[in-house]
Amino acid sequence: MMYQVYEAEQITAMAKDLFREERSKKRLDGWFLTREIVCNHAHEWNECSREMRAAKELRAILRELPLSISEYAIFAGSQSDAFARSYALINPAFQVETFSGYCDPTAVFNDIEPNEEFTEERIARVRDFTKESDYVRTLTEVYDKYENYTTEVAFFIEQVTGHIIPDFRPVLAHGLDRIITVLEEKIASESDNIKKDNFEAMKLTLLSTIDLAERYANIANEQRKTATPKRAAQLKLMEQTLRKVPRQGCDTLYEAIQSFILLWEVMCLEQAPNPFAFSVGNADRIFEPYRAKENLSRENTAALLKHLLVFYNVGDRSWAISQNLLISGKDLDGNDMTNETSYALMEAYLDMNLPQPILSVKLHKNTPDEIYEAMGRFFFSPGMLTPSLFNDDSVFQNLKIHRVVDEELPDYAVAGCQEPLIMGKDNGNTTNSWLNMAKILELTLNSGKSMITGKTIEATEEFPALELLQNIRERFYENIEQYINLMCEAANGASKAISYLPVPFLSIFMGGTETGYDMRDTEHQGTPYNGSGCLIHGLSVVADSFIAIDKLLVERPEEAENLLKALKVNFEGYEELHAFLKSAPKFGNNVPEVDKEACIVVTKVSDMVTAHKNYLGNPFRADWASPTTHLTYGYWVAATPDGRKAREQLNYGVDPLFGDADQGMGFRMLSNMRLPFDKMDGGYASHFGINPKMFHSPTLEGKGLDFAKRVIKPLFFNEKNTAKVAPFYLYVNVTTPETLRKVLAEPKKYAPTGVYIMRIHGTFVNFLDLSPDIQQDIIKRLDLESTKM
Amino acid sequence: MQLKLFHKGFNYSQDGTGNRLVYHLQGCNLSCPWCANPEGMDAEGPDTFTMTIEEMCEEIVRCKPMFFDGGGVTFTGGEATCQFIALKEILTRLKRIGISTALETNGTSSKLPELFPVLDELIMDYKHYDSKIHKKIMGLGNDVIKENLGKAFVEHPKLLVRIPLIGKVNASECDIEQFIAFFNQYHFFNARFELLCYHEYGKAKWTKCGKEYIVQDAFVPEKTRVNYENKMRMCGFNIVRT
Repeated sequence: MMYQVYEAEQITAMAKDLFREERSKKRLDGWFLTREIVCNHAHEWNECSREMRAAKELRAILRELPLSISEYAIFAGSQSDAFARSYALINPAFQVETFSGYCDPTAVFNDIEPNEEFTEERIARVRDFTKESDYVRTLTEVYDKYENYTTEVAFFIEQVTGHIIPDFRPVLAHGLDRIITVLEEKIASESDNIKKDNFEAMKLTLLSTIDLAERYANIANEQRKTATPKRAAQLKLMEQTLRKVPRQGCDTLYEAIQSFILLWEVMCLEQAPNPFAFSVGNADRIFEPYRAKENLSRENTAALLKHLLVFYNVGDRSWAISQNLLISGKDLDGNDMTNETSYALMEAYLDMNLPQPILSVKLHKNTPDEIYEAMGRFFFSPGMLTPSLFNDDSVFQNLKIHRVVDEELPDYAVAGCQEPLIMGKDNGNTTNSWLNMAKILELTLNSGKSMITGKTIEATEEFPALELLQNIRERFYENIEQYINLMCEAANGASKAISYLPVPFLSIFMGGTETGYDMRDTEHQGTPYNGSGCLIHGLSVVADSFIAIDKLLVERPEEAENLLKALKVNFEGYEELHAFLKSAPKFGNNVPEVDKEACIVVTKVSDMVTAHKNYLGNPFRADWASPTTHLTYGYWVAATPDGRKAREQLNYGVDPLFGDADQGMGFRMLSNMRLPFDKMDGGYASHFGINPKMFHSPTLEGKGLDFAKRVIKPLFFNEKNTAKVAPFYLYVNVTTPETLRKVLAEPKKYAPTGVYIMRIHGTFVNFLDLSPDIQQDIIKRLDLESTKM
Repeated sequence: MQLKLFHKGFNYSQDGTGNRLVYHLQGCNLSCPWCANPEGMDAEGPDTFTMTIEEMCEEIVRCKPMFFDGGGVTFTGGEATCQFIALKEILTRLKRIGISTALETNGTSSKLPELFPVLDELIMDYKHYDSKIHKKIMGLGNDVIKENLGKAFVEHPKLLVRIPLIGKVNASECDIEQFIAFFNQYHFFNARFELLCYHEYGKAKWTKCGKEYIVQDAFVPEKTRVNYENKMRMCGFNIVRT
């Protein structure tokens, strides 16, 4: 049926037109309308429970939000109404100096520009209403209480939205009707009133979703009346499909994608505005059964999937960020899970080269060469997106050590940049807390007083310089324990605040139909797995600082006092001492003492973090990632004993500080692979900037195989690595600083489509969309000296 | 016992088999004007550092996970044999602990054959067939090099001979014929040969080192290299590119 009304080339052309149309949108007002709809109806639901109220809010949104279907669309549905033009890093006005985090939950109202339709008064009314919500009041109280620690970022906390991998597979297979039946049975038999009410609320959201599909079907029907015969046939197919799915199970890939898109739209609208970093999960496994049913060719499959990819791009800068889509990987017995849809997705990505969604490839020691060859086409085509890489062999091991039962291991995927979670089962609150070890080191060296502002953050005992430095590790770990206590308390407060915005729809796809609880409930566990993330910053800065202090104490103990003075004045007047500290061994060069120090830091701090419990009594998860916060947090850190100057960036994730690893890829990998990755149960970040000139094969596919041989396999699947768990994550940018400078200088020449994809932490970005600060960070962080081969 | 170095790092397949940890030893007894590592020419250079044999051994053992695809350790320079005693010692130790060893040398050390038993791979340059020209341009004649090559052809199981093609020095048709004629004196069929084109990757470093870079117009077209490679293949040479 599908290919009676479409040809693959036409579908592709429409996908490209649809993307162009989306990129031309300079305003995103839909999210505001969702809030206004809630505001308008608020008085009607005063008697309802929070859960039912949330379901009714969603119903109102799905009924009243203006909908449309583009002339280029082959599927109905959009997530553009859930996002604002907010995300700082792709905002040209972003500056490291003025960025203060996302502390104000009503700041998003600044991201809608008033005009005749959306007047200042109209915006102010909804903002004021939102300010009065339990959620905003509670969250504001938390931020106010811990402001002293978050302003200069000793730590930071946030309420987590998005960052989940829903499991929509049962809907694709059996339809919403089946789940509604299950819920009705539960409602009938459930004696616990809270659960009963929750099931009622969940059911209401599913009925509302079916209503949404009907609304779209009606629009398609309406458009048919004036469409050309060809388009009318297409719209007829769309309408028929929307009257079938997601209510019923899917029989074709076309139906499966349509169903998935609508479910995604509802999930995002439920959390609007800005539910960043929802993940598709293992996309090839989700869609392959439907492709296989029809035995669709790779080309035809890729054509349809291009529309799915376009769906993830919102507005003029693809404002919905960090949406991850994964392919390949292995099953529990080690069999490769790559399928035709994996390759079709890669084809679709290659042809479209969009800023979203992020492609991640799960690898294992038996990954077929065809995957590496295909990846060569991404890595070695300038301006082309590059997949991030996961090592299934290691991730399986790590998840098993920490929490996950065997049969669920293949279902891990990643939400956000790189945080491993089990699809449909794991609420990891991944970005709940953020720990700045480098700032805490600074405070340890100055009796709790900031060397940046002079403000006392948390006063501690004063010690003579020599004594302090001799016991620096002990003092640091004592201090960090205190800060982690405060941070976890604050983070749990933020989680409590967000629990005032329950999500009955999403909870269905996160185990809620089994448990009867909302996934945000802070008193009852709604998901099989639950934890709270802590992103830990400044590994190499702290480890290198300890080693530099050791060197000073051995060679120049008389300079102990001077070191503390020098840090306060950013080494001005202490240039010789600065050079001495810089000459101390640094992480990333395969130097035993400093590599060992880094391992100790990871072990101790991870253990401290994971010993803390979240609101449900589950451990916090240690995530050694710094999604560009190495810049913003570094700005609040004074000079450090490793020789890093005040306000300069911290190291990224588990990587060495920029410029400190100058011995090349081999040494850097050796330092990296000795880190205790088994302690990083929340994930970690690592990036290699790679010079494409190092690869000489005449074909892109050949370069891909070389890349596997020289970079991926030694790092991930190294048989001589004796560590408990091998590295499991990497993203790369394969380019040179010169190339990027040329792109900036002559974008029309080097990026004629206006899109030149680079990676920044876990997400793709259009390099040309970025703020200048971030562009320069990407150039700097290529750090090709550290990866030369 | 110490070794003086000016650089270390990994390299894949160009300095021996697989991924190799390459140590550049300080000091050279030749003065090739196109040298890519001028900072390694003098006995002391701007980047000189030292390592004891023990330190080096420890480092190499730590690096084992990176010796993939048959990799190991390669010594180059400068000219590694200028520190012959320490070089022999470290090679002997590495051989004892089963690390793959390789040496990249200009072949001027008369004691080079002593290292053959502790070298898994030998990479020797042969820059000019005419001893007088060799001496004029590089400061030493090639008699010892020829002698060492002769022995290596017979005694070393894994020999790679490299000829850097330098325009106006050794890259004419006539030069290639002379090279071929020289090798034809030997039973070279176990050896591999590689022609390298002149490049200027090291040019900027000459100025940094306070030295004058005097080579001009020495580039050799790729098609010339291919032509010479084919010519040598026709004569039975095993030509490779690393």
